Amino acid sequence: MTKRPFLGWFASPSILIAFGIAASFLAIVQYSFRANIPGALDPGGFTLENFTTLWKAIYGDAFLNTVLLCLWTAVFTLLIGYPLAYAMVRARSVRLRSAILLISLTPLFLGEIVRTYSWMIVLGNRGFLNAALMQMGLIDRPIPFMFTMTGVVIALVHFTLPIVVVMLAAGLSHIDRNLERAATSLGAGRVRVFLTVTLPLSIPGIVAATSTAFAWTFSAFATPQMIGGGQVQTISTLVYQVGFASFNFPLAASLSLTGLLFTVAVLAIFNTGIRRLERIGGH
Amino acid sequence: MSSETRNDAAVQIDGVSKSFSGTVALEPIWLKIRRGEFLTLLGPSGCGKTTLLNLIAGFLEADEGELFIDRELVTQVPPHQREIGIVFQNYALFPHMTVAQNVAYGLRTRRVSKAETAERVAEALALVKLQDFADRRPRQLSGGQQQRVALARALVIRPRVLLLDEPFSALDRNLRTAMQVELREIQTRLGLTTVFVTHDQNEALSMSDRIAVMSQGRVRQIGAPDDIYDRPANLFVSTFVGDANLFDATLQGVQGGAAELIVGGAPLPVETYQEDLPEPGPVTLFVRPEQCRLTGAEEQGAVPAIVALSVYQGSYAELHLDCAAARGGRIMLRVPAAKALPAGIPVGIALPRTGPAIYAVEDADKEVA
Repeated sequence: MTKRPFLGWFASPSILIAFGIAASFLAIVQYSFRANIPGALDPGGFTLENFTTLWKAIYGDAFLNTVLLCLWTAVFTLLIGYPLAYAMVRARSVRLRSAILLISLTPLFLGEIVRTYSWMIVLGNRGFLNAALMQMGLIDRPIPFMFTMTGVVIALVHFTLPIVVVMLAAGLSHIDRNLERAATSLGAGRVRVFLTVTLPLSIPGIVAATSTAFAWTFSAFATPQMIGGGQVQTISTLVYQVGFASFNFPLAASLSLTGLLFTVAVLAIFNTGIRRLERIGGH
Repeated sequence: MSSETRNDAAVQIDGVSKSFSGTVALEPIWLKIRRGEFLTLLGPSGCGKTTLLNLIAGFLEADEGELFIDRELVTQVPPHQREIGIVFQNYALFPHMTVAQNVAYGLRTRRVSKAETAERVAEALALVKLQDFADRRPRQLSGGQQQRVALARALVIRPRVLLLDEPFSALDRNLRTAMQVELREIQTRLGLTTVFVTHDQNEALSMSDRIAVMSQGRVRQIGAPDDIYDRPANLFVSTFVGDANLFDATLQGVQGGAAELIVGGAPLPVETYQEDLPEPGPVTLFVRPEQCRLTGAEEQGAVPAIVALSVYQGSYAELHLDCAAARGGRIMLRVPAAKALPAGIPVGIALPRTGPAIYAVEDADKEVA
């Protein structure tokens, strides 16, 4: 039997954090079943009214928007992140590897607000992107990126990319190089090796990265708020609006709770689907 | 004559060399592997044997030199067009495919028809006695079974050359011996040119038609197993393959084909197979343990020694002897287990008159740790 004398001490901070999370979670659950008294910060008695209110079209649209946003972001992040992760794992030069790692990870250190502001500068009607496209003569008038779904997705892809690259790279680095060599020796060219060996074996990494990207985007607030500018409504921007513009805390709480359950449900459906796919792909 | 030997070579390596960022992994090397031959590349880790294998496979590009397979120049041919079968040390079976799909992989890349694929996969699996395992996944198989799948997968494409990269090192001893016999049988039956990489000298001696002993990026000797064992070309081969007893001796001269030696104070005329002998003076005498004979301590001409340790090995015992005349002060002999002696007993060692080899002392300083 091994003694772990410091385990209790090391674990205690996590218990503190768990306690904090549990307490705030309970507070939100409790608030979501309380009545809103206009003009008062304290909630009224128990009611289910908040949840029936959520059936209104404006909330439904926010849910749909959020899912679409997450979906598009996940798809594009994957398309950009996979080649990056692949290059990072397989590059022979150490310098190239660290360059890719650095470029894909730095956004993580800038913070969401700073990054979103940079994107506002890039995406505006007179911003860098539109100016460049017009200079090249590809477009006559600016494409509206700000306050559109497209703009929000572009910024969210950048926001999500680091986490996806790191997770995909972790998955790819676990694939035995000899498997690819074996496939090559059996007559498979590079494309075939990739499609029949590397890609199928990286599916677990893809699943993990996509689910994380999904949850990551789902909880994003500053980006849809600032680039969407109220025109692209997501669950998180709506929670903010209801809670801190209308001061309807109970409704904001029920909206948060529903959003959380919604994420769990979407991820569960997603994972079952992928597991089916994996089973089919295996045969 | 020269064109005939060229036709005979399944693989011809002409001055191929390889360095990795300034470090020489393989000095320029010339080697002809005959059709149907089982050639072993034997050497310690870092000797360049795996580099040579990867060069033949095409996973590495040679810095210089040319490589021919079946008389076709393949130096620039990418690995997937070389028609080579490889069995990897960790087998490298595709975990997301069944056994049958693994074996069929090389046929699908060649666009072989479905019917023929099924037939050839069944044939290959029958060859390695795994007919009943076609629908299993690799992880459901034992190490020996995985190895057979890897072999079937490499054989089914009818490769021009089969490359084996230490395929037995992950198997336990009994299974290893069984697989060695089986592999050799299949290889002989198919007449398949095979290059086998190993650091295990027993494996090399028991399986090969020829062995190329390598160290520090060079081939130190190439020949049949008994050539390598009985007539090693240099001290490295002597000590790397089989057990070696080394004695400090003095070479006085050569008379009538026999080298006049003084070992442990006693004169010893030795007939060696060597063509070049070192200059007269201090030399190192190399004798296999089984060429030494244990005698009484007082026997005329025997080298005196004292038993230091007796190691029981079942059918025989290893006697480790302290011997003043031995290089490093230690030698080893094998005796029937019943004749093992306790530590402290003085004995004599009678050295053979034919068979041993004589090397310059500098060689011993350089090559024996």
